[in-house]
Amino acid sequence: MPDNEEGSLNFHYAEFVIEAGKIKEFAQAIGLVNPIYFNKEAALLQGFKNIPVPPTFATVIDFWNDHGFYQLFGFLKLHPENVLHGEQSFEYVETMYAGDRISAVVTIKEISHKYGKTFYFLETIYKNQLSETVMLNHATLIEVGL
Amino acid sequence: MKELPSIIKPPIEHIDLVKYAGASGDFNKIHTVSHIANEKGYPDVIVHGMFLMGWASQAIEEWFPKRRLHRFGVRFMAPTYPGETLVIKGKLLEPNAEAVIDIGSLEIVDSKGEIKLKGSFELSKGEDGI
Repeated sequence: MPDNEEGSLNFHYAEFVIEAGKIKEFAQAIGLVNPIYFNKEAALLQGFKNIPVPPTFATVIDFWNDHGFYQLFGFLKLHPENVLHGEQSFEYVETMYAGDRISAVVTIKEISHKYGKTFYFLETIYKNQLSETVMLNHATLIEVGL
Repeated sequence: MKELPSIIKPPIEHIDLVKYAGASGDFNKIHTVSHIANEKGYPDVIVHGMFLMGWASQAIEEWFPKRRLHRFGVRFMAPTYPGETLVIKGKLLEPNAEAVIDIGSLEIVDSKGEIKLKGSFELSKGEDGI
């Protein structure tokens, strides 16, 4: 549920369990060919503890979440068809693996209006089941066509 | 600055966006339903920005198969539509012996030279000859 800490608006995702089959499907959809995404033995051979997630996999955690991006859109009163993606960056702290249970909190850092559009600056911090921060996500969403 | 080998991608097909929508969970109708995209003033469905960022991540893995990515950021510069043929171009800054990471940049460009995506990335150092 949304809350309000230290003056910034936070939105908590539901816990998301990373499944190996979802990693495979996502990797195929963007044309990744590295066997580490498809085969646990290949991942172990390259020094991973299990099948790792691809670099942009956070988007799966955001969209396939039972309480995630779609609910965040509702919370911000954004209509998805009026939203464009302006910028996106990821900082990789620890590797996320198949089997991990990920929790995430989105902070709405800033909302600004320019050129008749509204810009939303979001920061999402993902943690695994050990409460380790695994990834930081900074996104700019642009609301257009109003 | 070292040029990385350009990667020419096959033209994007509508089915690629169907697969990406299912894989990512982003079913936004401007990416999946042509007449909704038309009503919003777009000539066709818009390719998901994150689909292009995914392609860019694949390019980084092709250039540096053994490296670990520490940071990866992009700016989406222009809408992309099915049928377009895109090229991914990349550069690596001259490695700095004292730094613990290498820094690179990339662009996704269409056949007319329009830039669709600009990105930068930071990698672990590696012995891959680049």
